[in-house]
Amino acid sequence: MVTVSRRGWFTTLLKGIGAGMVLGGGGSMRESAPQAEAAEATGPLTVRVTRPFDAETPVREFTSWLTSNERFFVRSHFGPPPAEAIQPEAWRLSVKGLVKESLSFTLKDLQQFEPVSLTAVLQCSGNGRAHHRPKVPGVQWERGAVGNAQWTGVRLRDVLQQAGVKPQGVHVQFQGADRPALATVPLFTRSIPLAKALHPDTLLAYEMNGRPLPLLHGAPLRVITPGWMAESCMKWLTEITVRVDETPGYYMQQAYRIPETAVRLSSGLPGSAMVPVEQMPVKSLIAAPAEGDTVRIGPVTIQGVAWAGEAPVVKVEVSCDDGKTWEQARLLGEGQPYAWRQWQFVWNARTPGPTAILCRATDAQGQEQPATSPWNPGGFLWNGWDRLTVTVEA
Amino acid sequence: MRWLQRGSGVVLALLLVALVGWTVITAAQEEDRAAIEPATARKAATLVLARCAVCHTTDLIAQQRLPQDRWTVTVEKMVHWGAELSPEEAAVVIQYLTARNHPGAPDQLPSIEAELATMEPARAQSAASDGPLTGIAARGAALFAHNCQACHGEGAVGGAGPKLARNAVLKNEGAFWETVLHGRGPMPAWGAVLNRQEIADIHAWLTTR
Repeated sequence: MVTVSRRGWFTTLLKGIGAGMVLGGGGSMRESAPQAEAAEATGPLTVRVTRPFDAETPVREFTSWLTSNERFFVRSHFGPPPAEAIQPEAWRLSVKGLVKESLSFTLKDLQQFEPVSLTAVLQCSGNGRAHHRPKVPGVQWERGAVGNAQWTGVRLRDVLQQAGVKPQGVHVQFQGADRPALATVPLFTRSIPLAKALHPDTLLAYEMNGRPLPLLHGAPLRVITPGWMAESCMKWLTEITVRVDETPGYYMQQAYRIPETAVRLSSGLPGSAMVPVEQMPVKSLIAAPAEGDTVRIGPVTIQGVAWAGEAPVVKVEVSCDDGKTWEQARLLGEGQPYAWRQWQFVWNARTPGPTAILCRATDAQGQEQPATSPWNPGGFLWNGWDRLTVTVEA
Repeated sequence: MRWLQRGSGVVLALLLVALVGWTVITAAQEEDRAAIEPATARKAATLVLARCAVCHTTDLIAQQRLPQDRWTVTVEKMVHWGAELSPEEAAVVIQYLTARNHPGAPDQLPSIEAELATMEPARAQSAASDGPLTGIAARGAALFAHNCQACHGEGAVGGAGPKLARNAVLKNEGAFWETVLHGRGPMPAWGAVLNRQEIADIHAWLTTR
């Protein structure tokens, strides 16, 4: 009986507080100036964590080919570094480790290399984590921790070739200028295999959609590994270290790993070897209509985007009867490697009432988006069918 | 035959009793997991604000829905990374989070700040009514390092929170006690974590900076 009454107290407490009660300030610490500015400048984003600032893009923004800098999703482990650390006078990129000559670059020095522009999807590995069951700890991203932007920079390969990679060097480590609040928290340090680092499309980017890289997106310089998940795309980059082995430490050896079996889209059994998250699996999203919309009986234009890691999307299918039947959508424009493909489908809505709309994509390697993704302990790489409900009105 | 029947009846009855008993015990354990005393909840919520929100806001915590074993692993990881929680404090935080943010909890929960605000008045300590206390600066140094330093910086020189060394608030004891006991702006109330002697010790140490 005592426990019942205690639970009663808790329930009463929850009811009593209600949804309307919001405590001013919310966060319990004074926000640092850049983060407060960021929060103001990013009104249209859905904030998941106030500090460090993590926010996703509402999917309605994905009706446009490029995602604007202001509405692009934001994710970091510690928030941006202090402004002083990335001032042009102070900022340097060092290249060291297993190289013939250690080098240090200013941004101007780097801009002497041949500039390269490409459009690529950037997506957080945890995008869609909220859909995994059982629930997984971490930021509960839904659909919008992804975006498509044009990145301009120089080839990482050109920079590494100037330093001269020694034969033993097979991993390339990245370190940014961001630091945790407590020195006891491990730094966010990552590495990628040399083959990906030397790929001609792997960039050190200083522009995003034709403008200098914004602070929240890694100013002045970030890595772009097209086709791979965003944790390889180190922001606020200051150090490149060529190594004989994968980077040690939490963010490479424990976090951002998935069971090998999950990569092959099977069960993701515990106990199987854990491998780093790398390529993006094939995925599509419905950008319009929006969840909960009411549509008129007759033709309804459904539109969205689809992408895959290093293979082009070849097919998008839409179901307007909760997955019973599927029809092929029209792919718009020309396919571009690494960018997403917009698609459109005109649905002839006939039956009044609520209905589920679903989409799924297939890539050139024959990988098809699954109904639900294999569960994994980190909640990574969700690419289940996208799904929303609309009501047809006569 | 009759004996056999009676015998199997007894076995059946025993089985039934065992099954009912087991169900009751299991249900009680479930209840226990979901139950938490108001005073414990208040202490835990204060600890979450004071020790977890150093690195991240509580919205990150509030969106999780995890069973006890996952909360335990998570809190242990945070302690390993420097969250200032003693084993007893960590246990209280795990109990609170398991009761509040378990997998069956509703999608929408109030923020931890909002929840704490409703608990606050119950046991707020009064600032000056219980007579003067003599703070001991030597004890205050360690208390400051454990509770205040993450925001106010080593040596109280400031950080995410204001500089306290030679801060005018130290000469205004009313304002000092009010702030520490009840919080101010982004600073949480410390009344549930620190007793009055400890606050006086911290004050004494701060005046030496």
